[in-house]
This record gives sequence, C-alpha cells and structure tokens, in this order.
Amino acid sequence: MKKTILLFLALLSLPAAYAQQGVIIRGRIIDKADNSTIIGANIIEYDKDNRIINGTVTNVNGDFILEMKDRNNVVKVSVIGYETQEIDVDPSKPITVKLETTSLDIEEVTVTAQAKSSSTLINVDDRDNATSTVKLDLVDMQDAGVISMTDALQGKVSGLDIISASGDPGSGSQLVIRGLSSMGNNKPLIVLDGIPQFNTPEGFSLSSADQEDIGNLVNIPVQDIKSIEILKDAASTAIYGSRGADGVLLIETHKGRMGKVQFDYQYKGSVNIQPPAIPMLNGDEYIMLQLEEWHNAQGVFDIPPEIAYDRDYPDFYNYSANTDWISTITRTAYTHDHYFKISGGGEKATYFTSFSYINEGGTTISTGAKRFSTRVNLDYHLSNKFLFTIQFNYNKNNIDGNLELDDGSGIHKRNIREMAYIKAPNMSIWEYDSKGQPTGEYFTPINSYQGSGSIYYNPVAVANLGRDDRIENDLQNTFRLRYTILPWLIFRQTVAFSFGGSKAQNYLPYNALGTDWLAWTVNKAEESNNNNSSIHTETQISFNSPFKTERHVLSGAATFISSQSRYEWMNIQSNKIPSTDIRDPSIDGQINWIGTGSGESREIGLLVNLNYKYLDRYMLQTTFRTDAASSFGVNNRWGSFPGISAAWRFSDEPFMKSVQWLGSSMLRASWGISGRQPGDAYARYATYVTAGNGSYMTFPAIVPSQIQLSNLQWESVSSVDVGMELNLFNNRLYIEGDVYQKVTNDLLFKDYDIPRSSGFNQLKYLNGGQLENKGWELMSDYNVIRREKIWVGLNFNISRNVNSFNRLPENFNTERSTAIGNEDYPLRVVEGEPIGSFFGFHYLGVYPSDKDVIARDANGNILYDSKGIPLPLTYTDQYTFKGGDAIYEDMNHDGKIDLNDVVYIGDSNPDFIGGFGATVKYWNIDVSCNFQYRLGFDIINKVAMQTEGMLNRNNQSKATLSRWRVQGQDEAGMLPRAYLNHPANNLGSDRYVEQGDFLRLINFVVAYELKPEICRKLRLRRLSVALSGRKLFTWTRYSGQDPEVGQDASDPFWIGVDQAKTPPPRILTLSISAGF
Amino acid sequence: MKTGIKHILIILALMVPTACSDWLVLIPPQGLIREEFWQSKEDVEAVVMGAYQEFAAMDELLFKYGEIRADMVVGDVNQGNDDRKVAEGNIYSDNSLCNWNQFYTVIDYCNEVIKNAPEVKKVDNTFTDYAMNGYLSEVYWLRGLAYFYLVRVFGDVPYITEPTETDDTDLYVEKSDGEEILRKVSKDLVDKRIYATTDGYRTLAENKGRVTKAAYDALLADIALWLFDYRDCIAHVQRIEANTEYVLMPGSRWFELYYPGNTLESIYEFQFNRSLNQENSMYGLTNRNSYNYDPSPKAIESFRKGSSTRETVRAEDASIKRYSENDYIIWKYVGRQADGESVRTGIDQTSCNYIIYRLADVLLMKAEALSQLERFGEAAQILNLIRSRAGFDTPLSVPSSPQAYEDVILEERALELAFEGKRWFDLMRMGRRNNYARKGKLIEIIVANVPSTQKRILATKLTNPLGWYMPIYKTELERNKNLLQNPYYDY
Repeated sequence: MKKTILLFLALLSLPAAYAQQGVIIRGRIIDKADNSTIIGANIIEYDKDNRIINGTVTNVNGDFILEMKDRNNVVKVSVIGYETQEIDVDPSKPITVKLETTSLDIEEVTVTAQAKSSSTLINVDDRDNATSTVKLDLVDMQDAGVISMTDALQGKVSGLDIISASGDPGSGSQLVIRGLSSMGNNKPLIVLDGIPQFNTPEGFSLSSADQEDIGNLVNIPVQDIKSIEILKDAASTAIYGSRGADGVLLIETHKGRMGKVQFDYQYKGSVNIQPPAIPMLNGDEYIMLQLEEWHNAQGVFDIPPEIAYDRDYPDFYNYSANTDWISTITRTAYTHDHYFKISGGGEKATYFTSFSYINEGGTTISTGAKRFSTRVNLDYHLSNKFLFTIQFNYNKNNIDGNLELDDGSGIHKRNIREMAYIKAPNMSIWEYDSKGQPTGEYFTPINSYQGSGSIYYNPVAVANLGRDDRIENDLQNTFRLRYTILPWLIFRQTVAFSFGGSKAQNYLPYNALGTDWLAWTVNKAEESNNNNSSIHTETQISFNSPFKTERHVLSGAATFISSQSRYEWMNIQSNKIPSTDIRDPSIDGQINWIGTGSGESREIGLLVNLNYKYLDRYMLQTTFRTDAASSFGVNNRWGSFPGISAAWRFSDEPFMKSVQWLGSSMLRASWGISGRQPGDAYARYATYVTAGNGSYMTFPAIVPSQIQLSNLQWESVSSVDVGMELNLFNNRLYIEGDVYQKVTNDLLFKDYDIPRSSGFNQLKYLNGGQLENKGWELMSDYNVIRREKIWVGLNFNISRNVNSFNRLPENFNTERSTAIGNEDYPLRVVEGEPIGSFFGFHYLGVYPSDKDVIARDANGNILYDSKGIPLPLTYTDQYTFKGGDAIYEDMNHDGKIDLNDVVYIGDSNPDFIGGFGATVKYWNIDVSCNFQYRLGFDIINKVAMQTEGMLNRNNQSKATLSRWRVQGQDEAGMLPRAYLNHPANNLGSDRYVEQGDFLRLINFVVAYELKPEICRKLRLRRLSVALSGRKLFTWTRYSGQDPEVGQDASDPFWIGVDQAKTPPPRILTLSISAGF
Repeated sequence: MKTGIKHILIILALMVPTACSDWLVLIPPQGLIREEFWQSKEDVEAVVMGAYQEFAAMDELLFKYGEIRADMVVGDVNQGNDDRKVAEGNIYSDNSLCNWNQFYTVIDYCNEVIKNAPEVKKVDNTFTDYAMNGYLSEVYWLRGLAYFYLVRVFGDVPYITEPTETDDTDLYVEKSDGEEILRKVSKDLVDKRIYATTDGYRTLAENKGRVTKAAYDALLADIALWLFDYRDCIAHVQRIEANTEYVLMPGSRWFELYYPGNTLESIYEFQFNRSLNQENSMYGLTNRNSYNYDPSPKAIESFRKGSSTRETVRAEDASIKRYSENDYIIWKYVGRQADGESVRTGIDQTSCNYIIYRLADVLLMKAEALSQLERFGEAAQILNLIRSRAGFDTPLSVPSSPQAYEDVILEERALELAFEGKRWFDLMRMGRRNNYARKGKLIEIIVANVPSTQKRILATKLTNPLGWYMPIYKTELERNKNLLQNPYYDY
C-alpha cells in the first residue's frame, strides 16, 4: 500500500520536475544546544505566495533529502519545541541546520487548553466540576523519590483513610473513602486510563488479592502514573454505577508529548529496616516462667525433661539455647528499582513507552518480589478529525513468600513471624547431638515441649527449606478511536482487552518439620493456576456547546458500556513426593486433590450526562446511569444510579470583582446514588450437587447445595455533599471544605449465617440493613513564599467521619461470641451505634493474696454464705479466683464474673484523620516532608494478649518479668501470675485496650537538581538526586508494634485488633534520575 | 478516507454487544441448577438417596447420643474433648455435639422430595403414582426418624416441613413442643405406611437399607413407647410379628446380625460399603487402635456375670473382646465372628451397617408395653424368647409388678442391644415414666459409671430432668433470635 502511494507521488512529481527547474537538497537537522540530531523535523518548501508546495521529514539520523520544485522557493524547518528556521538553499553540499529550542514551553501550551476530567465518561471541565473530587499530580513527586502510590496518597487527601496491611513485600494497603459504607472489603474501584480494573470475579483465587497494595493491584510502576483522582461523593461515583459505592480512584498514566524524543532513566535504591521487635524472654527466663506456670496450676509435678536442665537428657544441648527467634528471621533488605522511559512525538503521533524492573527484598528472610513491567501509550492522528490511541501494558510479578502453617485449629495459619514470637527460646536453631556437637541439620523434633513439630515448627527451617512462590502475568490492551463528526460532536469508541494469569506453587520438605516423610503435611507440593480475561467496551457520543453565544454552555455525552470477564482455575496438590528437591506436584507423588473451576460474568450499562453552565458562573451537572448484570435474576436486574450536582462560582459575580483577595472560588452541592453488586455471578441459583459419598448403596445421590436467592438486589449508597472551594490572596491560599452524609441501603452481606435448622449454613448473599456515614473534611494549601528562587508551601487536611448502623437486617442477632473465654471478646452491635465498639470486662489489676478475693454487693459490703464465711468471687461456676489472678470488676455485684459483667470498653473508629506537610524549594534544592495522623481510636493489643497471658507454652514478652509470684506481692503495674491453662486470667478486658492515636512522619525527602549548565556539559538534559526516608518516626502512646490497624467491615462485628502483622519497615531511598 | 471511516464505524458498532437480556443470562458451568433439575423420576430417586446417605453419615453421632451419657461405654485417651464433657455431664452450649445441623440437613432433603416429587410427576409421564408414593413413604419415614432423634436429644425443637428452597423461606423458626412434634410425626407415619413396600425392593440390601412397612411399624412402635401409648406400641409390633419375613436369628448365628449384616432379624439398618466409598465411622471409633470408646466396667461386669451363668451368645468375644485385664474393646463393629479372633480386614473394616431396628429390639419394646399394662405373662414370654436365644434355658422369674419388669427389661435391652445407640434413650424413657417416678434409679445407674470424685456433682446435675436434654448449640442461638435456650442451660 505504502509503496503504491510513493510510486504514485513519484509519478506525479515527474512532469513537474521537467516543467520547473527542480533541485535536490540534502542535509541534517541538529539541536543547537547539544548537537543531537532531531528526528521528525518537517522540511517544507513554500512558494512565493507562502503556499506549501512540497515537504519531507528527517529520518532517525536527522537527515533529509528534499526535491525542490523551484530553486527560488523558500524552505523552512520546523519541529515542535524548536524555533522555525529558514534554510539557505544550496544543493551543492549537505546543509547542516542547527535549531534552537523555543522559549515557549510546550507544557504551557497544554495548560491553556482546559483540562478535562480524567474520566472520559463525563464531558465536563475539571474547573467546572461540581462534585467532590481531589486530583493529585504525581509528576512533581516522582523525582522526589516517592516509592509507592500509597506514599503519594497517605495523609494527603481528606476523607481517605489508608492503612498498610502489613510490611511484607507484596502485601499492601487498605483504602477507605469516607468511612465504612458496606459489609464488603470497602475496596474503591480503580480506573486506569478510563478502564475499570475489576477483572477478577469472585471465585478466582488470587491469594489475598484484596490485601495487595493499590500500586500492585493496578500493576503499574509508580513512575508511569501522572495523576490520581479520588472521587468521593456519589454524584461523581454514580457514573461508575454499580461499581462506585466504595469510591473511585482514577489513575492516569503519562502520554507522549509533542517534541523531541526524550529518554529518562531513574534508579532507586532502598534499604528496608524492620523496626525493633517486642522484646521477648530468653531461654532461661522462658524456662523459669514455664516452671512457674506448671507449679501454680498443678502444685508438685514431674518436670518435663526439656525444661529440667537435665544434663543426661539426650537433647540437653537442643533445649538449653538462648535463641532470639525474631532476629534470626529478620534482616535488613534492599530494593533496587530501575525505570526507563522514552517519550516524544510530532504532529501526527505522540508516544510514551517505559520499562521498569524492581527487585524488592523483604525484611523477613526468604521473602521478596521482582516485577518487570512495560507500557506503550501511542496517540496517532490519522487526520485532524480522527485520533487513534493504543495503550499496551504488560507486567510480570514474581513473589517469593514463606509458607504459613496451620496452628492446629484448622482455621488460622501461622506465619513465620508469628511463630518466631511464640517459639520456645530455649530451643536451638541447629541440632546438636548428645555430646553437644552440631549435626548440621535444623533442630526440628516431631514433638517438642511446646507440642507437635508441625504446629510449633522451626521458623528458620520452614523459611529456608519451604517455598511459596507466585508468578503473575498481566496484559492489558486498550484501543481507542475518536472521531470528530462536527466540531461540537465527537464519537468515541473504546475496546479494552485484558488477560491475567497466575501460577502459585508451594512445597514443604519433610526436614523442615522433622516429621516422617510420609506424613501428609510434608513432601507436599501444591500448584494452582488461574487465568482471567475480560473485554470492556465503551461507545460514546459527546457534544460540546453548539451555541454561538458564550452565555450558555451545554455539554454532555451518552455512553454505552459493556463488560464481560471469565476466569478459570486449576489446583493440584500431591504429597509423598520421594525427594526434597523435586518440587512439582505432577511428579509421581500421591495426588491428594485436583480441582478446576471456571465462571463468567457480564454486564451492560448506559450512561447519559448533561452539563449546563450559564455565564461561566452557574453550573448544573447531571448524570444518569443504568446497569444490568448477569448476577441478578430478571426481576432485579436493572439498577439506576442518578447523580446531580450544582455549583456557583461566586467569585466571578460582578459584585465580587472588588474583592481583590478572592480568586476563583465556588460553592457546590451534590446528590447521587451509586451501587455495589455481588461478586459471584452464580449466587442466585439453587444448585444441586453429588452428595458426600456420591451414592447410597448402588444408587447415585444428589442433594441441594445452595439456596436460590429470589431477593438479591443492588446495594445502593446515596450521598449528599455540600462543599466550598476558596482561592485566596492571589491564589496563595487554597481551602476546600465539604460536609457530607452517606447512607447505604440494602447492604450486601456475603455468606450470611442462617440457622442450621434450615438445612443450610449460609445464604450466599443477603440484602438488608442500613449504614450511615456523615462527616466533614477540610483541605488547605498555602504558598507561604513564592519567589523566583525560593518557594515554601504548606498543606494540611483533616476529616471526621461518624459511622452508625442505623438498621440491622431483620432477625439479625446483635450478640456473638457469647461463650466468653481467654483471648475472646464478646461481640455486639447496637442499632444506631458505630461498627467497631469493644465490649469486655473491666480489668482492675491483680489480687495480691487469696484473702483479697472477696465478693461485695453494690454498697461495698462483703457477701457471706450461710455459714458466715465471706464468699469469694468466681468465674461463672467454673473457677474461684485466687491470689495472683486478674481482678475483673463485678458490675452487677452477684459475686460472679460472667457475661452480665461485660461493659463497653472502647471504640476502633478514629475521631479525626488527616495529614500535613511542608515543601521548601530553594534554588535547586527541594525539601519536603509529610505527616499522617489518626486520632481518637482504640486498639485491642492482641500481641500483648498472646505474649503476656502466661497460660500456655508460648514464649512471652519481657513484660511478664514483672508478674505476681508470691502471696501478698502487690506492685504497681504487676501482671497476673503464670498459670498453665488458667480459665480466666486472660479474658477479653480493657487490660489490652489501648489508645491508638498516632502521628507519623510518612516521608521526608531532600532532592537536588543539577543546574542546566552543568547538565549540558555532561550531555544530559537533566539530572537530579534525591534522598528520602519513609515512615521514619511515629509518635504514639500505643505499646504494640504499630498503631496502623486497618478497618474491616466484612462483618458487622468487626473490632480493631492488632494481629501482629509485620510492621511496615523504615525505608531509606536514594534515587537518581537522569534525562537525555 | 470518509468511506474508510464509515467502514471502521460499522465494524465497531458490530463489536459492541447489543443489549439483549439473553446475553445477561449465564448458567453456572459447574453443578446443576434447579431450573435443570426435578425433571424426571431419577432426579427424585437421587435426592431420596441423598437423604439416606446423609443420615447414614451420622452413624457415629447416633451412637454417641445413644451411649456416651449412659453407662455402657467409657471414653479412652483419644476421646474428643467435647465428647468427654458430654460424658461427664459438663455440657455447655459451645459443645459441638449440640450441633443439630446434620439432622436438619436430612429433614431439608426430605422436604425437598415431598415438595417436588408431585411436580416431577406432572412432567415425567413414566413416573407412576405408585413409584412416587413409594419415594414419599421413604422420606416421610426418614424425616420422622430425624425428628424422633431430635426430640429425644434436645426436647423441644423447630418443626420444619417445608424445604428451604429460596431466601423467601422463613428461616427463623421457633421451637415446637417435642411431644406434639412426635404426635404429628406419628400421624404422618400412619398415613404414609400404606405406600411403603413390604419387601418389594430388588435386593436384600435394599429391603434392609430402605424403608419398608416393617420399618414403619418399628418406628411407630418406638415413638408410641416413648409417648407411653402402650396399646399403640403393641399393635405396631404385632404387625411386624405377623410378617413371616422377620425371624429371630438362632443363637449360633447371632453375630451374623453384625457381620455380614442384613439378616432375617433386621428391620432397618443404614448400609455401608467401602468398595462403593460408603464408609462407616463405627470401626474407626471402636477398633483396638482408636482408643476412643471402650466397654464400660459396668458393661464388662454384666457380660462376665452372664458368662458365669452360661451367657454364651452375646458376651465376651461377641459384644466385647478382652485383650487383657483392663483392655476390652467393643467387638460388634470390629469382629467378623463371635470368636474374638477374626477381625474385619480390607474393605470389610468400614463396611459394617448401622442397625436402627431389629426384631429383638421391637419385641422387647412390646414386652415393655405389655408389662406396663400389667400383661406380665405375655411380657415374660417375650423375655424368655430373647433370653433363650441368648443361651439361657431357665425361664426368668420376675415379680408381677411393672417396676420389676421395667428393671429386667432394661437390663435385657442393655445386653441384647449393647453399643447399638439405645441405652441412654432407654434410661430416659424409664426416668420419664409416670412423671419421673424413677428418676432416682436413672441417676443411680449413670452415677455408677463415673469416677467417685464426680459422682456427687453428676447426681446433682441429673436431678433436674431438663438437664437430660442437650442445650441448643451456641451459634444456632446466635443465628436465630427466635430460639430460646433449653431451660436447664439458660443462665
């Protein structure tokens, strides 16, 4: 095709060459500044009337050949980003043209064009947007060494609560926008360059995908991100209809810019340092504690040889160590991040492409992640009416983790770090023989003093010998066409394909646990393969004001959206693999289990959006979206999600013109509804499956397995928002404030427990109840100094959210965990009260001696039995308290500590969240810091509960050294006595409820940009160096490791418990960015 | 160029799926959905079998409910924590044995059949009335048996007769009076008995493992006895006696009841067959290496006493097996012969059936009813029949009082039906009779089986007959606000 066109052109030009006096010129175009060649410069021949006659473009070497029609014509060289220059026509020799860069910066050109919202679904300018959204520009932050998207967001946006789930690589953060609004995992919808990222239907077993870092979730390097926009109110999220209920994050990646090709390289090297662990007992202290526990519980007893210091015991050397298990599994890790990008473009096409490689080390041994990703964003103008865009994104993730092993309950799995905390410190890592000579093996007894070797495993052995790896591949392709039918009417078509595959493998050899290799827990390999694919389309007609007048501006769009996704999984598990080196389940082991599954979901949506603006001061925006999804039956299939917002730019009113200090400011109000749909596309069906054994006698047996959901419907969130945006003092101070109320109706409860008398355990989904969040937010930005050489900026934000469960589903029982016991908190929800209130006993200290255990009535009088002997206080009917036991307040004064003595003891919802920061730019130095705070909430310190209880054989913290030991001992802050299997010394009480308030230095950055003159000498476009620190300091009164305890509303009984996850490491990063 | 654009637009427009509702209907790729089910009589049969299968899977539970609170078994070292608490009378509502889920799962399967079988008949022309009523008679019986267990274990329970098909079903059902439930169950059974086959199944296993008229009569008799309707009980047993297909096995072949099972004496037993992957739990619970449940000293004593007076059929090497002085195991589910030697091997190990009713059982029920009606002669006749089969030639001489007969029959049932999940219910029946007149006797029997330290506490606990029932499971109470905890446990 191309050839024919060229031939055709050549034929056309032939007669012209005869007619006129043609001449051929050749030459090279270079940059005057650095002498680099310029690709894609236009060499154009103009006739005397300044009409374009002929032209050509420079090739990759900057060379051109132009066959001029007439030697007398003028030839000009032009390329975006350089001054246009006329050439002296001299066909006798190659011409070298040196172009000077324009003083007019390209960026400024784009600024004059009004920025549209990142979302292409609505057709409104950012400036006129009447909804509550916050847009963060990441361009500035990048050179400053921001490590992750979480860093960029944490503490920056009011109403956005970000909590790091754990400090392990690959695990990440939880985002809650304006409070817990549904019974799910409150995961905001992420929209990447206009494509919603929800390609993972439920049933797809990407392990703990909801805990992934948002950066990992969208699977793109942070350097690719240009901006993040957070949509907070339902008027703005309504455009995402049934996916928008938990808020929306719009992420925009960089695009190519017209101009010379630019190469950029960035290296970031980080040191990850684990904060100090809770000090634990050493071997000697542990043995002493254990002996005391046994003695207090049983009196005289046979001392188990492991804690008896018996030199004749063959395992003496294995049980007389002082191992600090935590430090053996902790290390200082390093992360290397290489990022390379190329961008540029001409009038016809612009391109952006990037490659990134990150090798992240975890602070727990044998953990790490490697990620490779690449992106191409290409815009091609087929004509001035036709724009064709291609986006391509590929990621590969290799995540190395450690196996988590069952703790014996069959429900909870213990990770390496949890194990290291409770592992007996008198046990050694390596095995010694009875003479004290090391055998070279890990010390992994089948049964130890603590229990079975597969439950109380050697964490170092499991970390080093076992493996739990995951490889993920993601590919996303987006094609877009934009056709300008009329200057005010635009047609857009988007088709996005994505494909994701993951493979997880784990293996545990027998020598990691010390068990016989035929045991079913070892020499076991498991592999699971998942893949999912989706197609998302958008077809849109949008229009801009066709009126001649500027008084009325009308714009709008109608969009048809469809998406469909499929998933497939396969899992195979086999054991009795005859070798510790063969780690593949397909080898000749014994296959325990093979499973496969697949599924599909589809949905369509129709969105209409209309915006009206009068006199550039009064804005009215409406959206209406209707969605239908395959997860619903015919009667409830369609959901409607309207949104309306209005704004008044009062600063532009004529009567405000006199107010000099007021910049562009507006008042806005919005209302809207957005929704949430069940993730499981097949939940509504009643299904029948083969019964347990599959048969009775010789007959096949089939039984019902799932209840039909006739009432399944959309969960809806409606919200009202009133806000104000103020620009003051010549745009030096920006203040934005919002007041909102958000009400969730028909809450979707997943796997809702129902009475077993129904024959079933759960309803897959139940709609019911009402949840409300209301609150206010304030954000401000203040440019303290704004001069040429120095710039000082401050920012501050604060938000308050109050959550309440207005209505519970019908027949909902508000009390759970009523069988109180050690380490158990009774759970309650109360209509009209927030989720996350703690209930428990009131802890009053420790009984100094047996005679202090006396029951009293409400007036403080001692209670006596019929014989006149004072009654001791008892725990239900099971146990009578003694000296050294914990004192719980007998609220109802009945002489018994039971469920009736449970009181409200705290609340896990923060009163205020927010952050503040400062940036100082002086010459080429840039210093900034950011703080995050959460105030007014309580945490249950589960770690303390498990390491200070002293009722089992787990290792305990140094705090237990100040415990009750003898009758009459009475010291301030003393802990109860050590007592093996005590029934009531560690009940859920306010003993472990602590204030979680904290202020944290999220990041601190010092960046230096090399002066342009020096760069030029180094033949670089730019060079900057930055040093940054992440989470360096935390100010808190909380005694646990980390006060960042997330919110989780997957069940209404949620309470904020510190579960001893790896705390986020302190990270020091050196980053170097260079542009060519 | 313009036409090119048009072409592209047309292609794109075609790519956009049009909004039709068919496109949004997705059927799960795995499993059957209701829309595809209940189409043929085979579907009905499959769910009936599902109900049998689920009930059979409860064999271990049926054994535990019937034995561990009574005096014929003791727990060994591997006894579960929850089991031990039940045995010791320390039952709290978080004890997993209080979970009634499996019974209600069976009930739901039965209700599904009762609701849907008539619907299937409308679409499947080959489904005859006779066949449909046959299936219905099976599930009515299974449901009746489930409720009979529930009422005996928990007292008052929710009475549910509709399947839980959709989320419109009322899931939060209150408890109904236990006695009323049993009367309703009896009425259903009386109504549906005529549809049950006498012996019309194709194989012997089916005639014993599926519901027959005799199974109906046995369950009716058992319920009637529990409700102290002695005349009804006798009438139901008489119908079984009239059926010549059921005869007592001779003493020499008594052990065939357990191995290979499905004897002429058997009325109903849940079928197991390891080669079909239908494994029982009783072998795992009672074999020598399980150290889970062993014969109690009282059981050993009873059988030993028997052996000295020529109890040869049911004693050592038959009901129990002695390895050493203090090492006895339950032999009924482990042995192959009444020789104490031949242990089940291979697929036989977990293939033994679990007997629900056999002729000796119902005859003793009749004897109990007769004696309560002071028809002592007839009662003595039955007792002697059972005893002579067990090798006792000399007739018993029992004083002519209902109480004396009650004691003798109770003891005879203990020996004849040892470890068959009957003892605790027999004791409860005695304890409840005549307004708890013999409560003390029940306490005396049970307390004799526990260590001396626990005797007093347990005696106090058992004084209140409400404590004979189990508490409702904690999570069940948490899930259903309309349920009230059973009175004894409501603190």
